[in-house]
Amino acid sequence: MKRKHHAVILLLAVILLMGAVALQQNNTQPTRYEVRFFDSFDTITTITGYAKSQEEFEEQTKLLQEKLMHYHQLFDIYHTYEGMNNLKSINDAAGKSPLSVDQDIIELLKLGIEMHRKTNGAVNIAYGSVLSLWHEYREQGTADPEHAKVPPKALIQEKAAHTDISKVVIRDGTVFLEDGEMSLDVGSIGKGYAVQKISEYARELGMDHLLISVGGNVSAVGAKADNTPWRVGIENPDLESAEPYIGSVELADQTIVTSGDYQRFYVADGKRYCHIIDPETGMPPEYVPSVSVLTENSGMADAWSTALFNMEIETGLELVETLPETEALWVMKDGGVRSSSGFEFHEKK
Amino acid sequence: MKKNDVILIVVLLAAALAVFGGISLFSAKSGKDPEAVVYLDGEKQGSYPLNQDASVKIQSASGGYNILEIRAGTADITEASCPDKICVNHRPVKNPGESLVCLPNKLVVEIENGGEAEVDGSVR
Repeated sequence: MKRKHHAVILLLAVILLMGAVALQQNNTQPTRYEVRFFDSFDTITTITGYAKSQEEFEEQTKLLQEKLMHYHQLFDIYHTYEGMNNLKSINDAAGKSPLSVDQDIIELLKLGIEMHRKTNGAVNIAYGSVLSLWHEYREQGTADPEHAKVPPKALIQEKAAHTDISKVVIRDGTVFLEDGEMSLDVGSIGKGYAVQKISEYARELGMDHLLISVGGNVSAVGAKADNTPWRVGIENPDLESAEPYIGSVELADQTIVTSGDYQRFYVADGKRYCHIIDPETGMPPEYVPSVSVLTENSGMADAWSTALFNMEIETGLELVETLPETEALWVMKDGGVRSSSGFEFHEKK
Repeated sequence: MKKNDVILIVVLLAAALAVFGGISLFSAKSGKDPEAVVYLDGEKQGSYPLNQDASVKIQSASGGYNILEIRAGTADITEASCPDKICVNHRPVKNPGESLVCLPNKLVVEIENGGEAEVDGSVR
């Protein structure tokens, strides 16, 4: 009899021990860390993931940071880099000679040409001449707000005559701009393309649970460590409101990109002009404060969010509904929200 | 069962509860008071509890500055040397995980502690 009692007690002790071990394991799951850096695409990159220590996480993400920097240099239109033909090199050689370039540039430009077609011209990587004009006026207007000006209509039209994307000739690993006055600007897809590439690279490196954000181009590599999806807030474009997010979405192996007019803009004659320019009008569009696009490929999400920002909601909605695995959400001027039929959105109450 | 056995079982259960409670308490310790943590180019510079009003001038490596004001439980950048003023135009932050960013000065002010962040990231 006594032995039986001992057996029961022993059993209880074992259960207790197992319970403690289980709890302990729960507790030693890799901790969540974050790294931030500022060296690519003139924005802030935040990578969130899991490791045993901050040092280990920095070590792991260093390769991603370097890869991102590589894309930044390839797609840079303001600087050239030693031993590399980048977009600036192509622009500098416009109308003169084809340049042999990295396969990533070819792939990016092909994506740009494809997206120009799919969006009926609402994104155009050959729109550099007009964009650089606006860039110049915006820089001046930001530095000296008293004398901020908008580019004259005639000048915009003159520049817009040199934006024909069919004059971007890709042949045998070379790129040639046939119009000497034209230039490339991949602002609408470059960052998204790079985010897609480093997400794929992270998977190759065996990193299965990451949230990568490059200036708000957000890409989820897998889900969180506990296999629940990453939760990503969509910022409220109304900066006067105390509510930081209009709602959130859940991401696992997907990306979301937002295009908006409420952060980067300048004011001329009392009017706000944002950094996105509609290729159809040569002016900043004024349809909505922000559009977010959720899909699997970050490059496409980037292109679509810009394209939809350049369109009436109804036109965009119709287009999005024809796309597989692509959803969009518009925040309207009155603060209301519209979204495509499959957009799973947790609206803020 | 003998009385002693019953006592032992009760003691064991109590011990299990205590261990469990202890661990739960330990993991809930992130419920500390929220604070605004200042990072320059990714390096932590300091932290300011939100329950204590303060005004801090943050000098960046490039020679620029931002003025961080802690008022009524929120953190706000009220003045900055940068030309774009995106950080100044941004609403004050107060919830865990929310942040203020000044790109030209490589500054991030993030709210840490004070509970679970509502989101893991955000698009803007």
